[in-house]
Order: sequence, then structure tokens, then C-alpha cells
Amino acid sequence: MRSVVSKGKNIEEAIQLGLKLLDTKKEEVDIEIIQPETKGFLGIGARKAIVKLTKVDASVKKLKENDRAESEGNDKEINSEMLNDIISETSSSQEENENHPVADEMDKEGKVWVKSGKLFFSTTPTFYPTLTIGKGIKLYKNNELVKDKNIVLSETDRYEVKCENDVQETKWNISIDKLKLKALLHVEPGYKMTRRIPDIEPSKHIELIAEELKEIQNTLSFAEVIEELASLGVIYGINEDQILKAIESRQPGTFEIATGKKATHGHDGWIEPKVPLTIQNGLKEDEDGKVNYRELRAIPTAERGEVIAVIHPPVPGQPGITITNEPLPPKPSYPIKLRAGKGVVVVDDKIVAMESGRPHIEQRGQLVKVDILPKITHSGNVDLSSGNIRFVGDVDILGDVDVRMTVEAAGAIFVQKNVNMATLTAAGAIVVNGNVIGSKLSAGKYNRLIAELGQLLEEMHTQVKSMIEVIRQLIHSPAFKSNDFQRGGMQPLIRILLEKKFKSLPPLAKKYVDLVQKEEKDLEDDDWKEVAVFVRKTFLSLTKEITSLEQMEQLAQKMKQLSEFSKIPVEPDSYIIISNVLNSDIYCSGDIIVSGQGCLNTKIHAGGKLEIRGIMRGGEVYGKLGVEIHEAGAESGTTTIIAVPVGQTIKINKALEGTILKIGNVKHTLKENQDSIVARLDENNRMIFEKKA
Amino acid sequence: MIKYFYNEVEDRLDVKLEGDFDIEGTEVVEEELIPTMLNYKTVNIDFENVPFVDSSGMGLLIDIVKTLNDKGIKVTISKVRQEVFEVFEIIQLPEILGEEVFV
Repeated sequence: MRSVVSKGKNIEEAIQLGLKLLDTKKEEVDIEIIQPETKGFLGIGARKAIVKLTKVDASVKKLKENDRAESEGNDKEINSEMLNDIISETSSSQEENENHPVADEMDKEGKVWVKSGKLFFSTTPTFYPTLTIGKGIKLYKNNELVKDKNIVLSETDRYEVKCENDVQETKWNISIDKLKLKALLHVEPGYKMTRRIPDIEPSKHIELIAEELKEIQNTLSFAEVIEELASLGVIYGINEDQILKAIESRQPGTFEIATGKKATHGHDGWIEPKVPLTIQNGLKEDEDGKVNYRELRAIPTAERGEVIAVIHPPVPGQPGITITNEPLPPKPSYPIKLRAGKGVVVVDDKIVAMESGRPHIEQRGQLVKVDILPKITHSGNVDLSSGNIRFVGDVDILGDVDVRMTVEAAGAIFVQKNVNMATLTAAGAIVVNGNVIGSKLSAGKYNRLIAELGQLLEEMHTQVKSMIEVIRQLIHSPAFKSNDFQRGGMQPLIRILLEKKFKSLPPLAKKYVDLVQKEEKDLEDDDWKEVAVFVRKTFLSLTKEITSLEQMEQLAQKMKQLSEFSKIPVEPDSYIIISNVLNSDIYCSGDIIVSGQGCLNTKIHAGGKLEIRGIMRGGEVYGKLGVEIHEAGAESGTTTIIAVPVGQTIKINKALEGTILKIGNVKHTLKENQDSIVARLDENNRMIFEKKA
Repeated sequence: MIKYFYNEVEDRLDVKLEGDFDIEGTEVVEEELIPTMLNYKTVNIDFENVPFVDSSGMGLLIDIVKTLNDKGIKVTISKVRQEVFEVFEIIQLPEILGEEVFV
């Protein structure tokens, strides 16, 4: 006599399942409903139906039915009583099949075990052993694969276990880098995974876990690699020892199986000065922060016939070889482009002074300009009686520069006394030993011009390039005839394109042409003027001159070169050193130092570093490469703004309340007086303050 | 060489062009076509049989429309072939002449 508890979606299903487990018919069992099914709402709270089936003899069943008839309304109780009786009987018969041999030992009852890779189990009327199927093991029930992970074993079914054996092929590939300097072999050796199930002691529940035996099988062969390399065209620098390592490797790995030779870059030509050039080092301030004027007398000079500099030719690089055996050219190296200016002559590779004066070497990229700058010394004041001074070299003024006077120099300007409401413009440096009041100082004007022209060309280049694209597109259009280009050139087409599509080009062109015309004498490089001529005839005037697409391409090329050139900084850059300044406007493409006691209500723009060694009260200062100030701010509350671009710092020894600091677009107004601060932006673009050491 | 046919309906002139609208036709257009068109209040230019254009032709077309518009004459251009219209669009002719010109 055996009984079984089974679950189902509804009572009927539970009964059917139970009957199947007992391998019997409904007539031969007693059914007890332990729990009817509950539907729940949308599957929530749903419970399965649970029934208990007990196999009974036909006679008992009959008896039961009689009982039931006798005691209606109370049959459940009777049933359970009877069940107890039935369960207490041990099952009388045991079927024999391969899964459950006759259990001579009682402790195997209701248990499952594995022996010699085979599954055995025995059930009791009260207990069915269960099984969990592990990875790599397949269990077949009556020759059908069991998909569930957990299963209840029933004697009516026949079970068979099989172990899966995995085989993984060796994976490999060869990749070549962009420059074709390396071939990398990535290999992932294959394996054979053999599984077997160890013997498992009898238990009510066992988990079938296979023992795994992994055997690495790297099937990659030397010949395969060589063949693949050949098909990729790799013939140079093959590392055979690396290939051997790869084919023997038991772990996934990457091997550099071919290595090309990199090109070694040479270097550009350069110029080696043979005489001291910098005055900046010669300038010393005394204890009061004043520039010692006697030092200025020691400005470097070259004698007539002296070698100023030696020109060195470029050193070419060595070409490399790619793994596909192609030559890899080195970066080309260029000679310097020398412009021998006034007072110098080039003898072989040497630059020799033809007259004595201050040697001046200016470099922008590979363009080098060498001059001997003549110098004039103006012994008195610059005023109405002397007139304005405009000179191609250095200007040395021993007196003052008076109201509304102008001094312009292609070299540097030195003023021993004061500058009062005047304008100083120098392509080189400006040094003022006295006070600067209500004046306008600009050093490095040439740079500013080049920067402006370069900016215009950059914008024009973008437009011209896209115009060329449009023309190409037109030429390839099926309905467009381009044979009038031979007769009239591009002009008629350019005119139409300027009408709408590129209508912003002519204003740019006009601005550029006008600026070149105005500053012609300051432009040493003829390329700027050549571009201006071409731009004018192509985009501004309506000449009938024939313009070809090739010419437009050359123009675009030239524009690009010049705009790139304009971004290269000039060496050495100009600088300004002044002692005290009030109500002025100071511009310099390089560093600015205010060395005296104060800088009041002045606007300063430094393309390099700005250093104010005294007090800054009021005004707006900017240092592209950072600002350092001893004391900043005004007690009266006059607006004092100190600005630097993102990435730079502002250092102040003593900052007064109300001082405004600007880094990039981030602005901060000091709420109280602060000592020794260093302001910069953190990663989140917030201004942070550090104490200066 | 471009050919043209007139069809006059009261003060409206229909011009049907036939052939490539290019540099070859400059003289004919400037000396014959434009002066004729100036005598009407509305002009339509039919491009159905114009397979090719060049830059001079397009320049000429701009001239025609502008000259006529200046005189208060309404100009429309019709039946432009798709390939030709693609060329017009590259140089933004519809924007130059006004979208309403193309019908």
C-alpha cells in the first residue's frame, strides 16, 4: 500500500499526476483533498491544488465506499483515519528494473545513488527521492531529455544519465596596426572537456555534479600562421620564435609575430646665434623696483664684420620599413627660411653684420628674420618741438614723452623718464623707467596684425574649401555642362555662388584685402600680399580673368598654410617693463611687468605672463599665461578685475574685499580680505583657492 | 544652339525653350528673348526640353529674372527636369530667385 501527495493546477490535474506516479487507476485509490486550488488575482496569491492519493485494495475501497455511504458529511475524517492504516503498511511488492534493483539494505529505501556512472534509486510509498542535474550532464527519462533542473524519480520511469563532452576549437587571428609596423597574433587554444559522474552515496536528494577533465588542445600550426601572414602580405620582420611560442601556448595570449622598422625622424634646420641677443637678461631692477638704466647701455651689440649666427641645414630622418616591406618615409625636415634684413649679409652658412648695432633674430616656425637694428638716441623730451618719432630700429629716449606725442619703433622703445598721455608702439619691447600716465602702450603690434590676418584667412579657407567641393559636385552632376570653363573660367559660376551660398565670403575678403593694404609695410612675407591679390580678383572685382579650379585649390592651400603660420608664436616675444602706471591702456603679445609701486585704473592685456610687483587698484588686467600681483583691490570699492584663461592661475599676496577674479568664464568676487591666495579652477570648473606657501 | 517658341495669351507670354541653356545662347537671349519679354506683364519660361545647363546659362537666368522683376514683370519657370533642378539646388538658385519662381 502506498500513498502519494501531488500538486496540480487544479484538483483533477493533481489527481492525474498522483495516479501516474502510483501507476494506477482512479478506482484503485482513495483521494483526500488537502488543499483546493486558489486562483488569486492576476496570478498573485494563486495556490496549487494538493491531493493525497492512497492505493487501496479493491476490497478496501469497496468497504470505504460503504463507510462513506453510512456516514455522510463526515467522510473526510474517516478517510484520514483509514489512510493512516494504509500508510503504516509497508509496500508489499517491489518492481524490478535497471534503476531500482532489489534493495537488500533498508537504508537505501527512498534514496538515490550513483555507482559506476549509473543512476540507481528506490522509492517508498511515503518518499520519492529527488535529483538535481548539474552542468554538462543530461538526464533522459524514458529516452526523453529532461529539461528541468530538479526532478522527482518515479519507479514507473526509466532513467539514463549521460555526460556531455565539450570540444572547443583553437581560435586565432592576426591583426595589423594602422602603420603596418606590427602584426599581432591572438590565439585562444582549444580544449577537450571530458566529464564523468563519480560514485555518490545513497541519499534522499543528490546533486549530479560531473568531474571535469579539461585537456588543452592548441591545434594552431606554424604553417597556418605563415600562410595567413603571406595572405596578409606580411613579409618583413617576422618573429619566428614568437610564432613558436604562440603555437605552443596553453593560455590565450597575444604575440607580436612581425615587427617593422619605425622611421627615425630627423630634425629641421636651425639657427645658432653667436652673439648674445636678449636684453631681458641684461635688465636688472634695483631695490626700488626701478629698471637700472645703466644696464640698458649694455644692450648687446655686434661689430661690423662679426658673425651673428650660423645656419644649420636640416638633418634628414632614416626611412623605416613596414611589415609588408614598404618603405616608411620619415617626417620631412625643412631648412630654415631665412630673411636677411637690414645690416646683415649671408656668407655661406653664416650671417655677418654689415654695420654695428643690436643684432635681432626673430623666429616664427621655420621663418627666421635677422636684422641689425640701428638705434637712435633722443637726448631730450619728445614734445611738439621734437615732433613724433618713427624709426625702423630701437629708440632710446632720455627724457619724457609728452602729451599727445607718438613714438613708433620697429625695434624696442626705451624711455628713461615719464610717458604722459602719449602713444608708444613697438614691434619689440617697451621699457619705461618712469611713470606711465593716461597713455597707450602696445608692444608686438606685428604679432597682432598677423594674428588678425590669420584669423580672417582661416574663416575664408573654410569657405573656399567648401566652394571647391560644390564646384566638384556640379561638375559631376549629369545635367551640368562644364565646357564654358575653358572660355570664361570659373568666374561666372563663382559669381552665382557668391550671390547666396557663399555670400559671407566677399565681406571677409574685403576686410582681409583692406587690412593687407593698410599694413603693407609691416608685412615682411610676400605670401600675405599674394593671397590678397588673388582674393581680390576672384571674389571682389568682376574681372574677366580666367580662374581655374587648380588655382582655387592652390589658394585654399596657401590660406591654410598662412593661417597655421599665424598661430606659431614668435621667438623671442616682445615684452613690456614699466615702473608705475595710471589710467593707461597696455597691450603686449608677451610678458608684462609692472615693477614699481603701483598700477592704478589701468587696462592691461598680456599675451604672456603678467606680474604686478606693487599695488593694483582699480582697472582690468588679463594675463594669458597667468597673473601674479602683490596687492590687489581698492578700499574705495573701485572695480578691480583680474582675469586669466582656463587652466591658468591668479596669485595674489594680499587681496582686498571686492576684488573680482575671473578664470575663463567663472567669476568670483572676494567677500573679505585675503592673504596669499592662489586661485585656479578644479575639475568641476569651480574656482578654488589655495594658500600660497 | 538654343531654340525658343512663343505662345502669346493676351498680356502673358509663354516661352518654350529647346536645347542646352548655355554660353552659346547668351547672345540670342540677351538680344532677342529679353527685349521681347519686356512687352508682357507675365512671362513663363518652359524648361521641359532643356537637358543641360552651364554656369553662364544659370548666370543668364538670374539676369533674366532680375531684369524682368525690376520692370514689374512676373516671371515663372516651369517643368524643370529633375537633373537640371538638382544643379539649380546645388547653387541655391531657388533661394536666389525666390522659391515661387519655380512652378
